[in-house]
Amino acid sequence: MSELAFKPSQPLTLGVELELQILNRRDCDLTRGATELIALVERRAHPGEVKPEITESMVEVSTGIHERHGPLLAELRSIRDALVAAADRLNLLVAGGGAHPFQHWSEQQIFDRPRFKMLSQLYGYLAKQFTIFGQHVHIGCAEGDSALYLLHGMSRYVPHFIALAASSPYHQGVDTAFDSARLNAVFAFPLSGRAPLVERWDDFAAYFDKMAGYRIVESMKDFYWDIRPKPECGTIEIRVFDTPLTVEKAAALAAYAQTIARYLLVERPRPVGEDMYLVYNYNRFQACRFGLEGNLIDPWSQSHRSIREDVLETLGVLATHARELESAEALAEVERWTRRDGNDASWMRSVYAASESLEELVWQQARRWSGRS
Amino acid sequence: MTLDQFGFLPGWPVAFGQLAWIGVLLLASILAGEAARKWLRLPRIVGYLAVGAALGPELTGVVAAATLAELRLLVDIAVGLLLFELGQRVDLGWLRRNPWLVATSVLEAGLSFFAVLAVMMLLDARAIVATAVAVVAMATSPAVVMTMVKELRAQGQITERLLLLTALNVVYAAVGLAVLFGWLNFERHGTWLPMLAHPLYLILGSTALAAALALAALGLLRLLGRRPGFQFSVLVAMVLLAVAIASALGLSVLLTLLSFGVLSRAFDRARHFVSLRFGESAMLLVVILFAVAGASLEFTGWGVALGTGLAIVAARFVGKAAALLLLARPSALSVRKASLVNLGLMPMSGVALLMLQDLLRFDPKLAAELSASLMLAITILAFLGPLATEFALRRGGEAGEGR
Repeated sequence: MSELAFKPSQPLTLGVELELQILNRRDCDLTRGATELIALVERRAHPGEVKPEITESMVEVSTGIHERHGPLLAELRSIRDALVAAADRLNLLVAGGGAHPFQHWSEQQIFDRPRFKMLSQLYGYLAKQFTIFGQHVHIGCAEGDSALYLLHGMSRYVPHFIALAASSPYHQGVDTAFDSARLNAVFAFPLSGRAPLVERWDDFAAYFDKMAGYRIVESMKDFYWDIRPKPECGTIEIRVFDTPLTVEKAAALAAYAQTIARYLLVERPRPVGEDMYLVYNYNRFQACRFGLEGNLIDPWSQSHRSIREDVLETLGVLATHARELESAEALAEVERWTRRDGNDASWMRSVYAASESLEELVWQQARRWSGRS
Repeated sequence: MTLDQFGFLPGWPVAFGQLAWIGVLLLASILAGEAARKWLRLPRIVGYLAVGAALGPELTGVVAAATLAELRLLVDIAVGLLLFELGQRVDLGWLRRNPWLVATSVLEAGLSFFAVLAVMMLLDARAIVATAVAVVAMATSPAVVMTMVKELRAQGQITERLLLLTALNVVYAAVGLAVLFGWLNFERHGTWLPMLAHPLYLILGSTALAAALALAALGLLRLLGRRPGFQFSVLVAMVLLAVAIASALGLSVLLTLLSFGVLSRAFDRARHFVSLRFGESAMLLVVILFAVAGASLEFTGWGVALGTGLAIVAARFVGKAAALLLLARPSALSVRKASLVNLGLMPMSGVALLMLQDLLRFDPKLAAELSASLMLAITILAFLGPLATEFALRRGGEAGEGR
């Protein structure tokens, strides 16, 4: 029996992790500050958790476990306020966004913890290029088999998540032409991409044992999949979101994923099969490159349509589930971005077009994150 | 065949102009800087200083006082750029967002002032000399701190606080010096008006000039847009003008240039400034600055003044340490990092030499007395200061990689 037991959790519960940029106020470049920022936030009681990440210019915040969008958003807001207040005292800025628009990875310092040191030694420049910032959404599952069904079912919606959350159009000082350049950096890792098509938890545990036996991996953390199970929490973890520019957007995206999860688990609309993964990389690329304009191929009907159209159609299907989960407000927000406002990448491009300054763009990103503008 | 057929050959011994000696000084300094970094693992600055001291009039005289005077212009430009750049990096808004930093800065400068004053009084210095020494000792050298931060590509809380406190210390010392001038006026003329007018002219005049220059610079930048290369050239020109106008009007160059930097950032609400890095291109000026500073150091009278010099250094250090450690936690810093900030604030030589020069123009007798007490402390800190700052930045984990 594998040690990889799936710890049951209440289905459809939600948790969010956000990786955030720490910036100086002078030229808005990434700067060292995680240690002091975390120490200062920890002086007072605050909801959620604030943790160091792979470099000193990144912090990760995470929420507790929630059933509904409203309380999740409230908690994210109060974590954000605590973080912004601490950053103020240290003359730092905190911002969302999937990648820093002009930071040069050669200047990042790897955080001083054994696992990060190990990663840096193993992956060399890739570890440094990994100064990218993502949102992870955890969704609770009753047991391992339904977690795997959910994982594979969700893969159909990965292009939605990518396109809606995309906030890394600029990287290393250039417009990458992608809406999410961040995911290109993730692709470079050997264990990135999709999980293998395994539907039963016992089979998954056997797969993991085999990989561990080859000594390719030591723990689930070594897989950088787009969606991966997290058996010790009893969740699946969706990792394709760029960190959005506001906590409101982060909470709405999480609620969108939660509502899709309910639709999948309750209606079981489609069987899981390898055909889904034939179109997977194509759709994913389209979402990264073109955002909501990207082309999406439906693996079952083989129809082509834009990701925008597909999101709108999905929102229609989700209406009843949104009522059950009290996520209608969040979904209305998703609809507004899809119909009218566009994603964060398009906002970022418009700010740059007006100011012709990436520093100014990052400044505005930090203002949006602070919730004060 | 006669000799005059070979008139195209130079005479013997060949007569080199002063330019040659400047070249020699520069070359030797650069090489010594690299040697210091590579073999002794010391800051390059220490190499520049050592060569300046070795070749300067005080020791070997290879570089004559006249040559140093030729370099004065370049030194002024270097000081101007450094002060402006430091001012630009200082964010007054931070003092508002973290008021404990104001308390830290005031207490740190204040305690070091009174500690040095007390030591000088104990050593039976005249009141005015003791005060002058204590005023100058409040300053932290912007040149050393800026150069070390840039050379190590340091970033983080220690770095930012070091820069902020350095800028404020220069302001306190410059204002203190202006007040001291008022006192000297009173002793000289026995009337109140010049006593008040002189410091007011220095402080308000320098600030007003700085504000005018900052507004003019921002107006120009708004016109020219956010083009880094262009902004750089415009600002260098404006800095030269600022140095020239401040000197011509008898204002404080320190105060004017520093405020010019601070205000041009504070007034820049729409952020027209792109971030300004004088970086590598200013390297040569830094070499000259420290080589000349080295050549201005004095090495005589060690026996008599050693005690005084060490006592000043120690009192200054303890005063600053007390404030920084006391207010570390309220100002949101660990005690360990606060003590590293304290170490980083050690350098003061360049700015102290500048202030001595200011005083020399106004009151040569007092300047001589002051120099006798202070020169040893200046010489000790010239070499110790860069080491302390480098240690603080490295030990705090804020130095970048490489180099």
